[in-house]
Amino acid sequence: MVEKATKKKNRVFDYFCTEEKFSGGVAWCAGCPLELTARFIPKVLGDKMVFVGTPSCSAPVLHGQNLGSWHKLPYLACVMTGVGSSATGLTRYYQKAGIDATVVCFNGDGCSSDIGFQVLSGAAERNEKIIYITYDNEGYMNTGNQRSSSTQKGALTTTTPVGKIGKGKPTISKNLTMLMLMHRPRYMATATLSHLEDFAKKLQKAKEMVKEGFVYLHVFSPCPVGWRIDSNLSIEVCRTAVRTNYFPLWEAYDGKPRITVEVAAPKPITDFTKLMRKFSHLKENDIAAFQAEVDRRFALLKTLCDAAKAEEKTTVQS
Amino acid sequence: MKAKTVKPRVMTGNGAAAYAAMLCRPEVVASYPITPQTEVVEQLSAFKADGVLDAEMVEVEGENSAMNIVCAASIAGARVFTATSSYGLVYMYDTLLQTAGFRAPVVMVNVNRETPGIQAVSAGQQDMISTRDSGWIQIIVENDQEIIDQIIMAYRIAEDFNIQLPIMVNYDGYYLSYLAEAVQIPDQTDVDAFLAPLKKQPQRPRLVPGEARGCGTHGMEMGYVEARYKHCMALDRVKNHVDKIDKEFGEYFGRSYGGQIEEYKCADADIVIVASGSAAGTARTVIDSKRAEGLKVGLVKLRLFRPFPEERLAQALKGKKAIGVIDRSVSFGWKTGPMCTEIKSLCSKIGPVPILSYIDGLANLDINIPHIGRVIDEVAVAAKGKPYQEVTWIPMEEER
Repeated sequence: MVEKATKKKNRVFDYFCTEEKFSGGVAWCAGCPLELTARFIPKVLGDKMVFVGTPSCSAPVLHGQNLGSWHKLPYLACVMTGVGSSATGLTRYYQKAGIDATVVCFNGDGCSSDIGFQVLSGAAERNEKIIYITYDNEGYMNTGNQRSSSTQKGALTTTTPVGKIGKGKPTISKNLTMLMLMHRPRYMATATLSHLEDFAKKLQKAKEMVKEGFVYLHVFSPCPVGWRIDSNLSIEVCRTAVRTNYFPLWEAYDGKPRITVEVAAPKPITDFTKLMRKFSHLKENDIAAFQAEVDRRFALLKTLCDAAKAEEKTTVQS
Repeated sequence: MKAKTVKPRVMTGNGAAAYAAMLCRPEVVASYPITPQTEVVEQLSAFKADGVLDAEMVEVEGENSAMNIVCAASIAGARVFTATSSYGLVYMYDTLLQTAGFRAPVVMVNVNRETPGIQAVSAGQQDMISTRDSGWIQIIVENDQEIIDQIIMAYRIAEDFNIQLPIMVNYDGYYLSYLAEAVQIPDQTDVDAFLAPLKKQPQRPRLVPGEARGCGTHGMEMGYVEARYKHCMALDRVKNHVDKIDKEFGEYFGRSYGGQIEEYKCADADIVIVASGSAAGTARTVIDSKRAEGLKVGLVKLRLFRPFPEERLAQALKGKKAIGVIDRSVSFGWKTGPMCTEIKSLCSKIGPVPILSYIDGLANLDINIPHIGRVIDEVAVAAKGKPYQEVTWIPMEEER
């Protein structure tokens, strides 16, 4: 039986047969994809994991604030400006001392795209052997829904409120995945819970590729509380984000992107925005601008994918 | 003395620091260039390129990352080294507190320089003073030889199982960083032998894969209090330990520095001057000439600044008729200099004698022989019970 199971490659089911690293009763909000994401990652990455985290939504559990719950992973909880660098310190020493370890950073978009961006960029540029995972909930959700540079234009947050003058966040979000692609990491990918098999494959590749260099994973993780989503809909929001091309699923070896989940007929962005109330104040022209931004970003990705494909062909021919 | 005799070599303070660090065999080094420390980073990189330093070298994108890297590596079990100065030191402030809170035995050189606000690429101890409450051990040295010796001793202090705290070795930027002096670089085998006792100690807790152990857990209420209490108790143990290691170093290498403080001609002195860093060398010369004139004056060179060497200072200063303290920094919100303010806190132990504060040597101005001579003369007057000025900014007075 067991042998048969191992022969089937990349079956998500198999991962759930491995040991659960987190107890029940963890201090995450009901319906939050972060919990399932956190539980899933060690199932694929294995026992040699060392987590590096920072004050964020992941902190209450990873850093043991709720003393009734626990997890079995070694972890380092550092300052928000120190995730990529602390992971560097750990992995460099483990390599020097010959200790087999998979150093995994796990933090939100606020750390990755704002306060810890320089450090993330530095670690990527130095090609440190770490897996850096951003769970992107598009804002500072642990402190109660403030805007980050990953927050979408028009989104309602407590620091970009909607009022007589305020119309939500006035500027477009930082395109962090593209910025990371330009660092040309050994491997990078986007993932989300609605496409778990795709997620698992990417984690497995991450585990393999981190032996050679920097790995970046960007996980879409909507926040039911901050985005005002019904807690039973979070996975549906993930799926819709993929199907509207709002959050395309792709991967890249050495900066050459490839879409891993092709969406044949992308749905309109309204399918996405109607699932949450953070965009409910948007007018028709705002939605049109939102759609244009989604299309523009997807077109850029597509262009880069085509270019990578063409480059590969020329390399093969020559 | 057990150490091999070595030929003296002429090198700068920065070069000396890099040599000392290399001899201690750090496993992870991360550092960011900043004037006047840059030469330390360059020299360590050269050692690595030449294959004489077998360490993981990380060329970071900022000092904050440098400190995070050595902190994390240290928690994983590595021996680490970093060096910084001024802006760099304050740029890593959050991590400075973290490293101390994590009890990571990081050894760092801080080349003293003025801090941001007024753009001063010049010497001053304001950077070190601005981080005095970060929970680090802070020690100040006087010359290039002491830089080497103190860095080697620093590992015996920081990594001691009963201490496990980060240590900052401070020396004056410009005055020492670029000053070429003849120094004795100890032989590698002797440094290895001097650091060997650390290997016999129990292994400190380490963050390794496969063991469910975390670092940086939320310290709520009593958990926090206990960690803080133990940190303070460890700092308190540092004081005697610094004396002990200094003595041991003296027995091995034939050079010692007095431990927490160095007392120079204090025993029979009526008045005492307190100074630190490179200014202490100048002060010694002035003390000698004043003694020749018949004035019974002594010098206390403050070496350990955090933890504050309360007991040793009280012992050295007790019974003196007046004290003068020279600060190379200011204490915002106090009139007196920071070291003077702290020495004044010893009043219950040394009695209500006049303690005169002198602010001198800011931003590369010399703390020179006439300045120190003036300090001694004024303290001598105060010792006779005559009125005195509590705080004197020497350069400002000279301008008038």
